[in-house]
Amino acid sequence: MSVAWIGSQPVSLTDAIQNAAKLLASSRCPVFTFDADVHGTRSTIALATMLGGAYDHASGQVLANEVALFTNHGGMFTTPGEARRRSSLIILVGEIPTLHHDLLQAWASSKPDLGDKRSRSWFHVGGAETDPSNGKLLRQLKAISLRSEGLSLNAELAVLRAQLQGRQALVSLSNIAQLKKALAAAQFPVFVFSGSSVATAGLVMLQELIVDLNIRGRASSVFLPADDDAWGSALTSLWMTGFPPRTGFTNSLPSYDPVLWDVQRMINEKEADLHVWVSTRGGQIPPKGGQAALISLNRTEVPTGGAAVTIAVGQAGMDHDGVTYSSRIGTFRTLQATAASHLPSASKVISQLAEALPGKRILAC
Amino acid sequence: MLIRLSGGEVVDPVNGKTSQRDVWIRDDVLVDAPKNEMADHIHDVSGCIVMAGAIDIHSHIGGGNVNTARLLLPEHHAAHLPRPANTPLSNAGWSTFQTGCLYAQMGFTTVVEPAMAPYSSLHTHLELADIPIIDKATLAILGNDDFTLSLLRDDKSSAMIDDYVAWVVGSTRALGVKVINAGAAAAFKENVRAFSLDDVVPEYGVSSRKIVKSLQASVTRLGVPHPLHVHANNLGIAGSADTAAATIAATEGVPLHLAHLQFYGYGTEGKRKFSSEAARLAEAVNANPDVTIDIGQIMFGQTVTISSDVMRQFSAIRNASPKKTVIFDGDGNGGGGIVPYRYKQDYYGSLQWAVGLELFLLITDPWRVFFTTDHPNGAPFTAYPELFELLMSSAARDARSSELNVAALELTTLASVRREYNLEEIAIMTRAAPARLLGLKDRGHLGAGAIADIAVYRKGKDIAKMFREAALVFKNGELVVKNGKVTHYRWGKTLRLNPPPDKAMVKRMKAYHEERYGLSLDWFTFPDSAIQRDDPFAEVSCNS
Ligand SMILES: [Zn+2]
Repeated sequence: MSVAWIGSQPVSLTDAIQNAAKLLASSRCPVFTFDADVHGTRSTIALATMLGGAYDHASGQVLANEVALFTNHGGMFTTPGEARRRSSLIILVGEIPTLHHDLLQAWASSKPDLGDKRSRSWFHVGGAETDPSNGKLLRQLKAISLRSEGLSLNAELAVLRAQLQGRQALVSLSNIAQLKKALAAAQFPVFVFSGSSVATAGLVMLQELIVDLNIRGRASSVFLPADDDAWGSALTSLWMTGFPPRTGFTNSLPSYDPVLWDVQRMINEKEADLHVWVSTRGGQIPPKGGQAALISLNRTEVPTGGAAVTIAVGQAGMDHDGVTYSSRIGTFRTLQATAASHLPSASKVISQLAEALPGKRILAC
Repeated sequence: MLIRLSGGEVVDPVNGKTSQRDVWIRDDVLVDAPKNEMADHIHDVSGCIVMAGAIDIHSHIGGGNVNTARLLLPEHHAAHLPRPANTPLSNAGWSTFQTGCLYAQMGFTTVVEPAMAPYSSLHTHLELADIPIIDKATLAILGNDDFTLSLLRDDKSSAMIDDYVAWVVGSTRALGVKVINAGAAAAFKENVRAFSLDDVVPEYGVSSRKIVKSLQASVTRLGVPHPLHVHANNLGIAGSADTAAATIAATEGVPLHLAHLQFYGYGTEGKRKFSSEAARLAEAVNANPDVTIDIGQIMFGQTVTISSDVMRQFSAIRNASPKKTVIFDGDGNGGGGIVPYRYKQDYYGSLQWAVGLELFLLITDPWRVFFTTDHPNGAPFTAYPELFELLMSSAARDARSSELNVAALELTTLASVRREYNLEEIAIMTRAAPARLLGLKDRGHLGAGAIADIAVYRKGKDIAKMFREAALVFKNGELVVKNGKVTHYRWGKTLRLNPPPDKAMVKRMKAYHEERYGLSLDWFTFPDSAIQRDDPFAEVSCNS
């Protein structure tokens, strides 16, 4: 079975690497997109740093929303483990991605063993825009709905904050009295949100509400990323260059700018002439648009459409061992290969690529 | 490969008086001058000072909270990127890559990240492994977790506490143990807002003192070379000197390291009820040989405070500059707060600055006082060269003092203290003493058999310049810095202890994590291979 292609022609891995290295060496403005475990991300960022190319995660848009909560404001947070053990009152905010439903159900079937140790109760502030796909989860959790017909989540959060401060609001949320009673009884209430729950302004509003609650009592939040791998990549990027994805280089120094270094924008507006697409998830294809040449490191059995060079790579936790961010524990964990295969890891392919580049350079990983 | 550094002034107090002599390197270690053998490479270092590579025992260089600070403050990083001229703000060492380079350029070859949350130890080690050139190590945080507090509440045997501490140190690959405002993070989750040495954690009925004393005893019994590293209660508060004095008095013949003492050097005198108690604390340290301390000197300008002392950081939110913060109630020993802060040359800033220097100058034994800014809490480590100058030159202190708040300085003894550190004392404080404190027998001096970690500084009138740009730096015998610039990249190791885990404790840990977190223990531990580097760790042995 082939693992490397030039155009649609199967070639040896060595030939594909040589060809890709040539493209990289002659590129005026290469850009990088990744969707990989920590080590795949480290290698891609190291290569981007070496070549001075901007980089982003494949889910860069929602990731930028999550990052903006921190770069604009910050907040008060706790871990999933602490919430499970200590929080008897959980307030879900907006739509929680399906990947986290197991976690919430595990909390529902356990009882806090620290703090007030009361049985857990659940509320949900959803806003008119919440996807009905959360309905089953909310029914299972018996979540009490806090809502006001037709209001967006942003507006509902503003009303909720006002009502909890005892300020007069034009409208009222359903079941607010019940929430107030629950808040008065709970020692460590926790709001659970995701980057896809609501735009940054809403996330900031939520954090301001939590700060209010901390004037007299305690409260915190659990952040469940829209995509665990994307969040893990953001953390990796932060230590490697000091910045989250959407970082580029001027005079070989990194700089962060979520608009300027939006890789997809750079491709669409023809600023970039070469796109290195690293996707180990499987079944993904790069977005269409622009005219940049494409090097695809993809978990695939066929050449990526439109790619000058395609190299098949494995997925961490499937084809090889790896390290990923897991929102079950709120930090990194190791993954063992569940179906070890011949597919090389993205980091292995990238280090070969770096070695094939002309001139002696340092790959910082 | 045989290398000879010829004609330098060798400052190596462990092995004798400062003298002009040659230093010989064979491969990665130092050797005595070989007879009848020519060096493959000779570096003429006449006119230079030759010292062992420096060791920083307390600098927040990697891990969850440091990374969150990067996330919160991308503009802070941008402001600190290298500038064309060497402005005071030229570098802050914000990425892992920069951290290694900037430390190496100043002649530092080993740095300890003092605050690793056990549950995110993999994250910490991934970051440390990406810091080039230097060796690293880290201390595991204990004392706020349900497991420790439950053992103490239930009066479990000291053997069981030892087994737990050993398991944490081993599985997180730590070089020692740190306790941070013992019990306060747990109490803060139950809405306690102030916490002192004899306050009790609700739910457990265990006092902060009991936590500190139990961990101190356990670390000593286990033969962990580094004494328990204590971040005491009441950091930063007027009157905190009482807490520090009580903590110093609590050693009872057992070694203890008190971190960033400057932040506890405050009394309640004066119009603003914020005064210096440095002289009193220095006296207490001088009188108690069990105690070692590091300073946590503040330097003026923008920085960001990063601390696992979540209770203290929460109370500091209102002083944040710029106005954004992260407060994190972590699992047990994790968590903390990120609060950006600007040290101004006003009353408060001036007093803090003077308190740090008073402690440096009034504590007489350079083996027991350690050179830190608690990076980045007091200042980024890139401010070290200026700090060396302040310690070595009373004229430099006078000049700086003249720009500061007079009322504040009048409440300190600084102007009357004329001591100037000499090079031997600098070498003890930043090389020999840290190696001894951490149990690193292979470094901190230039005797035969030590690893060839060497810093060569060009002698000159400008002390800060001399320490900012080492003329030559060798790491394990490899030349890595020339004229203050990195010339060669390599990957150092993370130094760790490896006490064997007790089988019964591992079983307990499995059951505990399954019951309390609903997850198997392997979610919280990792194999060395997770780091994906060749031999990322080097073992340091425990005292027998
Ligand atoms: Zn510290």
